[in-house]
Amino acid sequence: MAKSISRRDFIKGMAGIGAASAVTALAGIPVAHAESETELVERVTTELPIPEAEAPAKTEYECDVLVIGGGFAGLNAAAAAADQGQSVVMIDKGHPGYSGLSPWPSSHRWADKEMGDDYDALRKCIQHGSEYLGNMDLYEVWLEESKATYERLRDWGILDQYETAKESGFYNDSGDPADCSGDYQGYHEKFYQHDRRTKFAAVLRDKGIEYADYTMVTNVIVENNKVCGAVGFHVPSGAIITCHAKAVVMAMGGGCYKPTGFPTGGVTFDGEYIAYNLGLPIAGKEFDDFHMTLSWAPGNAFLNNNWTYLDPLWLCGGDITADTAISYATTKGKVMVLDRVTKSMTGLAVTDGTGVEDMSQQDVTRRGGSASENPGEVRTGKCNDTMYKGDIYGAAVGFGAHLTNGVFCGLDDLEGKTSIEGLWVSGDGMQACGPTGAAYPTGVGFTSNYVSTMGNRAGKAAAEYAAGAELTKIPAERIEEETEKIQAPLSVEKGFDPTWARDQLHSIMSPYWVYIAKSKATLEATLTQIEYMRDRVIPKLQAASYHDVRMCLEMQHKILNAELSLRASLAREETRGLHFRTDFPYRDDENFLCYITLTKNAEGGMDIEKVPVKDEWKGDLTEDYKSRYTYYFPKELETLGLPAEEATGGWGGK
Amino acid sequence: MSVARYDLNKCIGCKSCVTVCPMDVFRFDNAANKSVIAYPENCQSCGQCYVNCLGRALTIVNDMYGYALTSYRAATTVPMNRKAQAVIDRT
Ligand SMILES: Cc1cc2nc3c(=O)[nH]c(=O)nc-3n(C[C@H](O)[C@H](O)[C@H](O)COP(=O)(O)OP(=O)(O)OC[C@H]3O[C@@H](n4cnc5c(N)ncnc54)[C@H](O)[C@@H]3O)c2cc1C
Ligand code: SF4
Ligand code: SF4
Repeated sequence: MAKSISRRDFIKGMAGIGAASAVTALAGIPVAHAESETELVERVTTELPIPEAEAPAKTEYECDVLVIGGGFAGLNAAAAAADQGQSVVMIDKGHPGYSGLSPWPSSHRWADKEMGDDYDALRKCIQHGSEYLGNMDLYEVWLEESKATYERLRDWGILDQYETAKESGFYNDSGDPADCSGDYQGYHEKFYQHDRRTKFAAVLRDKGIEYADYTMVTNVIVENNKVCGAVGFHVPSGAIITCHAKAVVMAMGGGCYKPTGFPTGGVTFDGEYIAYNLGLPIAGKEFDDFHMTLSWAPGNAFLNNNWTYLDPLWLCGGDITADTAISYATTKGKVMVLDRVTKSMTGLAVTDGTGVEDMSQQDVTRRGGSASENPGEVRTGKCNDTMYKGDIYGAAVGFGAHLTNGVFCGLDDLEGKTSIEGLWVSGDGMQACGPTGAAYPTGVGFTSNYVSTMGNRAGKAAAEYAAGAELTKIPAERIEEETEKIQAPLSVEKGFDPTWARDQLHSIMSPYWVYIAKSKATLEATLTQIEYMRDRVIPKLQAASYHDVRMCLEMQHKILNAELSLRASLAREETRGLHFRTDFPYRDDENFLCYITLTKNAEGGMDIEKVPVKDEWKGDLTEDYKSRYTYYFPKELETLGLPAEEATGGWGGK
Repeated sequence: MSVARYDLNKCIGCKSCVTVCPMDVFRFDNAANKSVIAYPENCQSCGQCYVNCLGRALTIVNDMYGYALTSYRAATTVPMNRKAQAVIDRT
């Protein structure tokens, strides 16, 4: 839009008072409240007292299929189950589409045979990039079904394509970070009808799916190894909510200790905690996502990772060919794994994060799109508006690697079916051991499609099961028991503030020697502190409101996650993908081409097991080390007695 | 922690903020027909309330959020911090 320059100059000229209305006036957007200078001078910036919240009209539900979580996985599961003619209820801790990770992806990838995609190249790339822990059977499912997933989401309006922020002129794009401001509200108002988050609840309404929002599920109730529903509470009012169901799909996402730059705070390992306590095995915990944030605005998610929130979801795929499969995996691995390791350990390796990158200037395949030039090809790749790059670790400490951690459903599972009758798990942080294995870089842009694909499968399977199953209602005493647990922190007379506990946990877990450069000594020292918090702090968390109750319960889940990830990290005595051990700085194919599962035992302790991956996922074991692994961790080659290389890794520096 | 009130007068009671916030930061005062920023210490500075606020009554400030605990800080931290706020301020 040609106007952008004059508009920017105009805004600068206005400097301060009245500038907000100047922007709206210029952009031709109706101003909700005309403001005069006096009104601005007399802005009211204080808050009213916190009011009591009303309980929702309905607190007891009954259905065939209950879906917990309204992100991409949950939405697709609920829709699929409803399409099978089953009655479906969805419960979400926030509001469907606006919580968890699902509000944030900027790209959406699928495989497309009709556009000439080379499936062998894709397989080779993911196998190499996942460092041979990727579940190739689930990848095959994705290859087969990802296009249908894209079409479904497109038809729901979630993938609407419209003017990007850059094209719209609402964002400044001079390249000077100090000047990368924008009229975010104006851009949003103009394209509101395309906002994909509004489509989540719209799809539910269209399909006659009831949903309870702002309701935190605290337990899934199982009697005689058969699911009978879930219990939770409406967070603002504290009202106890129950849902009796024949089948349950848990699509509750992953979590982090404190979101400081990566907006994952809506999820806090609630599903993992419930599943672990139901006796289900948890896997993938040693692979941490370690997302980056900005050293000069750490903790500010709006700047760090939400820059593209208002843009259309960019369509990706077709960029991996036979020629590029290995170099693609290597480059992504260097940038997303090694670069994070080196930056975290040695400081700001390459940039200070202000290297504002304009992806639209790059060729299509570099952006993740297809260069097929086929008519009808819509995958043009990420066309980022000018955007910062995180330069330091710490955006979401504790967030597990995408699609790798969660409930382990066995090597042959293709739908997230657990060993509990009527219970499925789906999505990020819930269904473990996905195709991305030890490192997800080659799956970039792929998670929103993958979890949608898997959600669809879980929803269908749950509906088919429910069609032939009897409803077992949740026994009244189980509801009472859950109610007591929920309300317990409110009657703690002297105790710890859950906000303090959260920050304390974050402080313990965020030094780089815990998740980035691990060793036996650092992991054990950290575990001691976590056990102390588990035993001394968690039982004494005190709540003064139901908001606090949510925080107290979330802390229990976070502490369990910390323990699981530390114990899994100790058990994996090698380095692979997003797991780097300074005391074992090399890949150990002989002993660790396996998943590590953690299961609660009868005494309340953790049983740790190694489950070898299928032989056909292991790649060619006779291949020499340096072709099998194409980027190296500090001291790796030296320890193995192989010729050293130049240091690798680095954003921009490639 | 970084949502802040731009101007309570401008709150038109649309409740968007209450609906979209994933961190349970808001409550709603029915009598006054205004939102209440009740628990800002749990805000993840994601900006969803800010961009969805129909009255433009909210903003994001840069001086309250929790710090990521990191190994190193950029030499430019102080001036860049000010720049960070410039990115959001429309003024
Ligand atoms: C900044 C960012 C950028 C990303 N970029 C991309 C990208 O470009 N491309 C891509 O494909 N992917 C991307 N991703 C990843 C992608 O967003 C996720 O993999 C995907 O959205 C996960 O969906 P999900 O449904 O499995 O989980 P989530 O979206 O996390 O949904 C979980 C849901 O469960 C609910 N919930 C949790 N606990 C409870 C409880 N106790 N009771 C009731 N409900 C509960 C939550 O409120 C939430 O709605 C990005 C993620 C982020 C954060
Ligand atoms: S910025 Fe995000 S987390 Fe903070 S109050 Fe707004 S919506 Fe909630
Ligand atoms: S979104 Fe804005 S106008 Fe609407 S209730 Fe919240 S603060 Fe008020």
